[in-house]
Amino acid sequence: MIRHVMRWEAVLVAILVAELLIFGAINPRFLNSASLLFGTSDFVHIGMVAVPLTLVIIAGGIDVSFASTVGLTAILFGIANFMGAPLAVSILAALGAGALAGGFNAAMIRVTRLQPLVITLGALYLFSGAATVLSGAVGASGYEGIGGFPAGFTAMGYARILGLPTGLALFLAIAVALWLLLHLTRFGRLVFQTGQNEAAARHSGLPVGRVQATTYVLTGLCAALAGLMLSAYFGSARVDLGTATLLPAITAAVLGGASIYGGQGSVLGTVIAVFIIGYLQQGLQMSGVPSQISGALSGALLVVVVALRHGAALLRDLIPAASSSR
Amino acid sequence: MLDAIARNRVATLVCVTVLVLLAVGLAAPGFLTGNTAAIIWSNGLVLMLVALGILPVILTRNIDVSGGSILGLSAVVLGLTVNAGTPLWGAVALALAAGTAAGALNGALVAGLGVPAIVATLGTLGLYRGIMLIATGGEWIEGLPDGLKALGAKGAIGIAPLGWVVGALALALALALRTRRGLWPNAVGDNREAARHLGLPVRRIVFGSFTFAGFMAALAGVTFAAQIGFVPNQAGTGIELRAIAALVLGGVSLLGGVGTAGGVVVAVIFFTAIDTALVFLKIPAYWNDLIGGAMLLLVLLIDGRLRIALERRDRAARYRRATQLPDRTPLEDAA
Repeated sequence: MIRHVMRWEAVLVAILVAELLIFGAINPRFLNSASLLFGTSDFVHIGMVAVPLTLVIIAGGIDVSFASTVGLTAILFGIANFMGAPLAVSILAALGAGALAGGFNAAMIRVTRLQPLVITLGALYLFSGAATVLSGAVGASGYEGIGGFPAGFTAMGYARILGLPTGLALFLAIAVALWLLLHLTRFGRLVFQTGQNEAAARHSGLPVGRVQATTYVLTGLCAALAGLMLSAYFGSARVDLGTATLLPAITAAVLGGASIYGGQGSVLGTVIAVFIIGYLQQGLQMSGVPSQISGALSGALLVVVVALRHGAALLRDLIPAASSSR
Repeated sequence: MLDAIARNRVATLVCVTVLVLLAVGLAAPGFLTGNTAAIIWSNGLVLMLVALGILPVILTRNIDVSGGSILGLSAVVLGLTVNAGTPLWGAVALALAAGTAAGALNGALVAGLGVPAIVATLGTLGLYRGIMLIATGGEWIEGLPDGLKALGAKGAIGIAPLGWVVGALALALALALRTRRGLWPNAVGDNREAARHLGLPVRRIVFGSFTFAGFMAALAGVTFAAQIGFVPNQAGTGIELRAIAALVLGGVSLLGGVGTAGGVVVAVIFFTAIDTALVFLKIPAYWNDLIGGAMLLLVLLIDGRLRIALERRDRAARYRRATQLPDRTPLEDAA
């Protein structure tokens, strides 16, 4: 099992390297370390939500509402700031709202015992609606957004931590923290156990509800972080900040090896997949391909890679001798 | 009472819709007219087509989130071919064929290669949108012929020709799903292995439902182009999620095997009625998502709790029966 996962991550690394080499051959400027490093600012927010989303998926759930949570928390931050709250309080308000949003999802799923996709789909509309109404309430009509942040906050969007852009540093910090949590702690084992067989986990007396709730709260929290990071980066909080993260984040989690049926997945795989998706779009743009086509190609990439994986599994089933010899 | 509400989702939804409409009618006189009804029906056509298309897919316990992109792709095929001089019927046929082919590719990925449906259709969601944008070069398609727009314009009793087509299709689908073969998707979704052992062609059924979803999304694209009169780049974006929300509201279980076309029709009308009522009450459009989302979650909450309460009551009744009739073996009932 572990060997299998490791092999999948090796495949992902190979794809990433091949991708970088191909784009480097097309456009030598692409392989410049500065552009590789600072280009990440355009896609790390996808990773920030994709990593906790991986945990949700492993635990047998799914969350699509994070795309709205990003915008909602950013708007709440903007409003708190607009009302004259100190920066730290505004940030805490945004993070708290993110955690609450995740908790709301978890509570609704628990209370109704309906499929998480349905509940979080409703929450996707609810949160983005709430964000739109709130931003309308302070007069930032439509999609202009709320600006006027303190200079110290917007500077954070362009600052460097240990030589890395803030966004990338934050993303890697989230990834390392959640990797430790998922792969080295008791809680991490519970996440896998819950996703493998929820009924069995429940009958063994494991705190299934609490484990799943934690994964949703983590996703909300990380979505809030992504919202804050994007607000700092763009200098304004908008309702639609996170809309474009929905599909790439799910794609990254699935491409990274998370099974949509739960019980399988890895943080490392998701992180590599985020870079694959991010650099694919960037490389295509630098090679002069319009951004619309890059969307098509990342869709195609997901289909082809996952189809190959399933095709390989099918082949293995068809040739039992080959699988037993390994 | 509890029983009736929980077991007959469609009737409940009809009552709620009527109550909401009456409330709006009280608040804003002049709302409850035949004209409003025609507007609601025509506003809901596109969503209705996509949702009805996804219905069989969800009945087989799969999911299709690529509907919005198929809609856009087929609208573009229609726009490009008709503007290039193809006769209208030919262009419509090509658009429908493109959408059906796109749906068939989804079906092949899911039924043939065994890719999980949500992954496969997420991928094709990006893929088809990209193909559409490549085809148009990122430009909007304008100047569609009047013949096409006439299909979406008001016709007999205030309902557009396409409105009649959709009504007929919904009725046909509702009837078809009740026939012997129409129950096949339910059988597959309810218990795939059992369906296979009964000798049903499971893979072909799954493939067929995805293809059907593609066809319906293509028809939605045609309707979209006819109603709007041009094809923007983002045609259909996000409609797949609205469609799934409507399906859930209409009592379709994402776990497969449960759901009716009637429920979907009522749910789509409910959603559209709320949007239309908001316009009528002069509530700013940015409240739509909040109210829609809150309504959906509220219905789900009530539905979920009712179902749990019902299960509890049924179980309690079984235990009671088992204890009252000691001569019967209580084991089989209690189990």
